[in-house]
Amino acid sequence: MNSARYAELFLSESREHLSAVNDALLELEPGRPPDDAVRSLFRAVHSMKGMAGAMGYSAVTELAHEMESLLDGLRSGDCVVVDGTTEVLFAAADCLEDAVAAAMEGADGSVDCSAVIGRLRSLSMGSVPDSDQSAEPGVPCTNQGADDAWFVEVAQAPDTPLRGVRAMLVVRKLESIGDVLEVSPTLAELQAERYDDRFAVRLLARPHVDAAAIAQAARSAGDVASVEVWMPGERPERAAGPSPQEDVLVLSSMSAATASEESGEGGQPVEFRPQANRATRSVRVDVRHLDSLLDVVGELILARGRLRESLGTALTHDARSALDHLSRLVGDLQTEVLSARLVPVWQVFDRFPRLVRDSARSLGKEIDFAVEGKEIELDRSLLDEIGDPVVHLLRNAIDHGIETAAERLAVGKPRRGRLTLSAIRDRDAVLLRVADDGRGLDRPRVVRRARELGLLDEHSQPDDEDLVKLVTRAGFSTAERVTDMSGRGVGVDAVEERLRKLGGSVEMRTSAGKGMTVTLRLPLTLAIVRALIARVGDEVYALPASHVVATAEFTAARSRTLRGEAVLLLGQDVLPALDLRTLVGMPAGDGAERELVVLEAGDRRLGLVVDELLGEQEAVVKRFDLVRGALPCFSGATVLGNGMPALIVDVGRLLT
Amino acid sequence: MSRTVLICDDAIFMRTMVGDILQQAGFEIVGEAETGVEAVQQYKLLRPDLVTMDIVMPDMGGIDAVREISSFDPEAKVLMCSAMGQQALVVEAIQAGAKDFVVKPFQPSRVLEAVQRVLA
Repeated sequence: MNSARYAELFLSESREHLSAVNDALLELEPGRPPDDAVRSLFRAVHSMKGMAGAMGYSAVTELAHEMESLLDGLRSGDCVVVDGTTEVLFAAADCLEDAVAAAMEGADGSVDCSAVIGRLRSLSMGSVPDSDQSAEPGVPCTNQGADDAWFVEVAQAPDTPLRGVRAMLVVRKLESIGDVLEVSPTLAELQAERYDDRFAVRLLARPHVDAAAIAQAARSAGDVASVEVWMPGERPERAAGPSPQEDVLVLSSMSAATASEESGEGGQPVEFRPQANRATRSVRVDVRHLDSLLDVVGELILARGRLRESLGTALTHDARSALDHLSRLVGDLQTEVLSARLVPVWQVFDRFPRLVRDSARSLGKEIDFAVEGKEIELDRSLLDEIGDPVVHLLRNAIDHGIETAAERLAVGKPRRGRLTLSAIRDRDAVLLRVADDGRGLDRPRVVRRARELGLLDEHSQPDDEDLVKLVTRAGFSTAERVTDMSGRGVGVDAVEERLRKLGGSVEMRTSAGKGMTVTLRLPLTLAIVRALIARVGDEVYALPASHVVATAEFTAARSRTLRGEAVLLLGQDVLPALDLRTLVGMPAGDGAERELVVLEAGDRRLGLVVDELLGEQEAVVKRFDLVRGALPCFSGATVLGNGMPALIVDVGRLLT
Repeated sequence: MSRTVLICDDAIFMRTMVGDILQQAGFEIVGEAETGVEAVQQYKLLRPDLVTMDIVMPDMGGIDAVREISSFDPEAKVLMCSAMGQQALVVEAIQAGAKDFVVKPFQPSRVLEAVQRVLA
């Protein structure tokens, strides 16, 4: 363990705590009973203070301490939540985030927190936090030193031999790190085993002994099933945020399943059963290790392909079965590595409620925001990329989609707008959906713009689907950015662009006056895709299998020209047609015995004509940035089993 | 270098059993004592890393032996071996300086866990 490793742990845990702080602050409104929210706030801030202290980040520690003091006052009832409390705490949370970031860059103390500390202090002193120090004395918010003793509750393992004596050992261990003020039941009762395998200790710990150290000391006595450590008024609850046990096992994270299983114990205090614990034990790993592990798996897949290719069919039975076994193992390895890279979307989603609240507030709109499917998992690298597009869509919905309360009431809608962000797993894709019940696409403006561009004639009345098609049509939104003026759909093209790069797509649904739904479809992973390999001339190209709907033989009879555009007839469908040769600048072939692939992205389809289809393969994606002047219809490259490089076709882009 | 242990019990059977468990875990048995007096003498002579101590032994019991050993070496790591129903005696032994205890009948895993805690 080195300090850099601690720093990483500090940073990642601080993020979790800050996220918990922002969440809890949303609950903290004047007039509401503050209990739960204040307790989770206190826990998070308290943990951060402890960690920052251990890291020697004194500026972070100081700010966390001031927040903690105020929260302690709120918790004990010495202070109350007033107008402005939440704002000050939000400001403090932002400042804390900045201070953490500065500390991580080796510039602890470079962020000026003095203003926010002043406001925190004046709140603690009971004065109303007008922007500056209006030092109107109120009820001071005291921090009694006597209340600094920890509560330690210990549950012993079932069938502990001489459990009373063991309990005494626990107490002795605690005595080695502080003063034991009280034991309940008493030591005599413990020794006589007149208790039901659970006992509590009040401990005035030595300085710098934190909850984790206390729990560890208690556990070191042996036969301890669980330890809970908390400060007065701060009884931990499993559902909200990190608890002392998770401090102890820094490397443990509880899965949702375990958490709910544990909370299913009714009124019983939270258990930390060794078995449940073992099932969910996890280790924090630097994401770079996962990246290089995935690279190695990618190379392994390529090597496997080459091996198969070079051995051909001249294999003994034993060699073949060994090769098959190897293949399965590589496949298993790939699955494991990919699943190790998955992280739940809440890691990104958790900051959105705050964002929605702030935006809505600044616009004077009333919005109920719901997040669904937080536990859905996505590849780490994708998750980092989708934050911005989702923020974009949420902002759009708030700024332009959802009406003000007055406008809503006037058209007979409920006063509060509804905005939902959901994550949905759909086979090998994840859908992120932003839905609002606002006014939908600005029809008159879109129609007018479409007419100006000659995309729509004077008399046609497009339906909602036509509107969406118009807006997302290449050149429509960029031509004059109609959407900038109408607001609705600002930068939808930018969102589409980003999603295409990620191998995903965007779908929009709107219904005038009733709202709008935008769905982002993402692949589960960026790194490895199943691809259909197509040949034209002596070049090969990879078509991501997730976009392939069907393949067919290409015959001249299918080919038509409709209003000057090449189309294909496929059953009842008429599809736009494209020749891969044309796309890559190859002369037209002799036309004999070619094949056809139907590609789909969003709700659009295309028939791609190729010389030959060579079958499916795992393609390890090597992404590249397009050089100027390059064909913009490729998203990356891969190396095939036979060692040949192949470009991966960007189906999303082909279809716009 | 393996850790050294002194095993104190008046029953050969128990000494053998504890000895086997610890030997398999890599300990070197440097001495055995049948009485409390022997235990104290051997401790001073051998300075083992670990002592396992029966509570009831002839000629000075385990508790007095622990007290003597601890006053000679406050860092001594003594693990008490007790039977069920002896909690009062175990408490006394711990107050006398024993670090942990195991309860007969011995389960190897429990013995080794206790040993690890004592030596931690």
